[in-house]
Amino acid sequence: MSYQVTIEPTGEIVEVEEGQTLLDAALRQGVWLPFACGHGTCGTCKVQVLEGEAEVGDASPFALLDMERDEGYRLACCCHPESDLVIEADVDEDPDFAGHPVQDWSATVSAITELTPTIREIRLRLDGEGMAFQAGQYINLRVPGVEGTRAFSIASKPAESGELALHIRKVEGGAATTWLHEQLEEGQRLALSGPYGQFFVRKSDPKDVIFIAGGSGLSSPESMILDLLADPEDTRRITLFQGARNLAELYHRERFERLAAEHERFTYMPALNAPLDDDAWDGFVGFVHDAAIAHFEGRFSEHKAYLCGPPPMIDAAITALMQGRLFERDIHMERFLTAADGAEGGQRSALFKRI
Amino acid sequence: MNAKTSKRLNMKERYRIMTRDLGWEPSYQRYEDIFPQEGFEGIKITDWDQWEDPFRLTMDNYWKFQAEKERKLYAIFDAVSQNNGQMKISDPRYLNAVKLFITAVTPLEYNAYKGYARVGRQFGGVGARIACQMQSIDELRHTQTQIHAMSHYNKYFGGMHDFPHMFDRVWYLSVPKSFFEDASTAGPFEFLTAISFSFEYVLTNLLFLPFMSGAAYNGDMNTVTFGFSAQSDEARHMTLGLEIIKFILEQHEDNVPIIQQWLDKWLWRGYRLLSIVGMMMDYMLPNKVMSWAEAWTMYYEEAGGALFKELERYGIRPPKYADQTVIGKDHVSHQAWFIFYQYGHATAFNTWVPTAKEMDWLSEKYPDTFDRLYRPRFELLAEKAARGERFYNNTLPQLCQVCQIPLAITEPDDDTLLSHRDTVHDGERYHFCSEGCRDIFHHEPEKYVQAWLPVHQILQGNCGGADMEKVIGDYYRIEMGEDNLDFEGSAEQRRWAAWKQAV
Repeated sequence: MSYQVTIEPTGEIVEVEEGQTLLDAALRQGVWLPFACGHGTCGTCKVQVLEGEAEVGDASPFALLDMERDEGYRLACCCHPESDLVIEADVDEDPDFAGHPVQDWSATVSAITELTPTIREIRLRLDGEGMAFQAGQYINLRVPGVEGTRAFSIASKPAESGELALHIRKVEGGAATTWLHEQLEEGQRLALSGPYGQFFVRKSDPKDVIFIAGGSGLSSPESMILDLLADPEDTRRITLFQGARNLAELYHRERFERLAAEHERFTYMPALNAPLDDDAWDGFVGFVHDAAIAHFEGRFSEHKAYLCGPPPMIDAAITALMQGRLFERDIHMERFLTAADGAEGGQRSALFKRI
Repeated sequence: MNAKTSKRLNMKERYRIMTRDLGWEPSYQRYEDIFPQEGFEGIKITDWDQWEDPFRLTMDNYWKFQAEKERKLYAIFDAVSQNNGQMKISDPRYLNAVKLFITAVTPLEYNAYKGYARVGRQFGGVGARIACQMQSIDELRHTQTQIHAMSHYNKYFGGMHDFPHMFDRVWYLSVPKSFFEDASTAGPFEFLTAISFSFEYVLTNLLFLPFMSGAAYNGDMNTVTFGFSAQSDEARHMTLGLEIIKFILEQHEDNVPIIQQWLDKWLWRGYRLLSIVGMMMDYMLPNKVMSWAEAWTMYYEEAGGALFKELERYGIRPPKYADQTVIGKDHVSHQAWFIFYQYGHATAFNTWVPTAKEMDWLSEKYPDTFDRLYRPRFELLAEKAARGERFYNNTLPQLCQVCQIPLAITEPDDDTLLSHRDTVHDGERYHFCSEGCRDIFHHEPEKYVQAWLPVHQILQGNCGGADMEKVIGDYYRIEMGEDNLDFEGSAEQRRWAAWKQAV
């Protein structure tokens, strides 16, 4: 049995399992709530229950006073939902978040294209009206024979709301992605829900943007860049750094080279970290964050940065950006976790909230 | 539902109206004249609007919450005193940890109250001013509630009767006093880096948790309850510590080397100060919680290590000499207790040789050092005491010019050699316990040459004359035979035995 908790004012939704605390569920699902001690003595993670019932748990009487309990306040680190909830937490609403409603969808596989030896594109034609989403968001896909759902970023732009493109990398030993690579055929029906996520372009901030993408993490940036370039009013400069192992793994290169030729404000910088001799590669050799350092001479301040890809790439990119004096408030990311990544290793401090 | 909730002010809006909205742009005075200390440390602030409020508590709610916490806390204090709570502690030796707390830590809370009141005034940013104001009031509350928590024991036990006086005069209390006064006489940004970040965020778990858990394991209901009450405030103090460091580092890259130097200084100073907590955990608690070495590993090496790894992204490296603290964790508590044992005639608490069972616990917790270095020493001391020759050291030790701890701590790379450094400044020679403390001196010699070193002051005749009994009794107000000396044969031991027979 699990309960759905809607967090106001952001509207984010987390599923809380039986016996799990609200804080644990939120953090594991990538939703940040303020917290400190983690065991009910400090009160930093105080939230107010607006709708539904939640057990107080082991909160210290000094951290959560009786009068607060009566008013529906709970400590997220020790409270257990007893129904679906709507809570208000001390988190900021993002003015750029459109809040498109999450819905369930049925879809037909309309096209499958091999992008690289390990990544394929799947196009899904949605039944009905089409999905309103923000470029950068993701869907949860139900894969036949696999328990639960898998998250995939939408690579197509919001204007094409009736057909979604997904870039799917085959994960070694991964049941869902193996099925999607080996069993899926055009015309098949799939169920999904969405849109989800807080990874979208903060258009209200006029600063120039940097995208850093690795592997199939090109998906969200591709959608975001197509969306930005389609807007004639938009004038910000856009730089995309795309990282891949070798030339065969670098996909949509021609597409972005064409866009760069068409749009003076768009710059495309591919990087290969292990090019083969046959690749005859004359572009940047090295990791994608090093390509960004080289291009911007190590100075990133006065930009917004969007990172999408595997956790090691994201971590290296954050370090590069911060050492170039771009900080948390201007760095946004989507980490592509797989079962192989496990729980994010190592102890973390409370220094950073979202990165 | 959405329509209804959108009418309420959310926390951010409410906080903005009740705090930042209270600020204004000066029109007829210059900014530099209103906030004269903001610039003089070299810290560059380009935009106070980038300050992210570490918590959103407004003053009206603050009073409401704190009043409710006080009601709960004092209800427990009343119950403890009505139930003769002093009889419920595990062993009268435990009270010595309380004596150490009230004389060494509580006055720091009072200094923190003064410190935050002072520096809060110096920041141009409203958010930082409000955060400091609230913490200042918290610290005053902690001072008061600690005094009240421990006053019950003061009715029945010695050593606690004159703690503010002792804090200003007694030799070992000059260690915490000089630590805090070093911070209080620094600029506002260094004060917050020292106290909010280095102490409240990085090191607080090594001060509060050992005392609070020690209280919980040894039947001290008052201190445990005070601890829970304070912890609900501490979370705000910790988040302020994190915000200040992020804010300064992000404001300007020229701030990075200044912060680095402060972190090197304050984490070393904090480590030295915490020697007394290590000794309390390993030697003074009859029921042990965890060893000092275990606490250092968990809270400093692991939790602090994760923090410093993340701070590397700002160009900050781990504190200088962090490796020496890791080596020192197996030695410092034993060496500190030995200092207090030998000067046990000049302490406002009792000292003792650990029992055979306690020494076995120490052997288990310190397999590399205790049996090899410290057990033989304590066994010899026990033997001498049994022969009626309890060892007291009647000489006065050389103190470190910076941390003011006696030079009785060993070298990081040789645990049989005492560590001693010196330097000549303006024709005078100054002595230090370590390279860490000497570095601190070299950075600001004109500050540390002014240090009030208790031993120097005694030798100069400024502490009641040449007679040590007069220094201890009249100048320190430690009552001979009542507050000090070995626990064996002490007034506390006799009283406890008499009470326990009476019930």
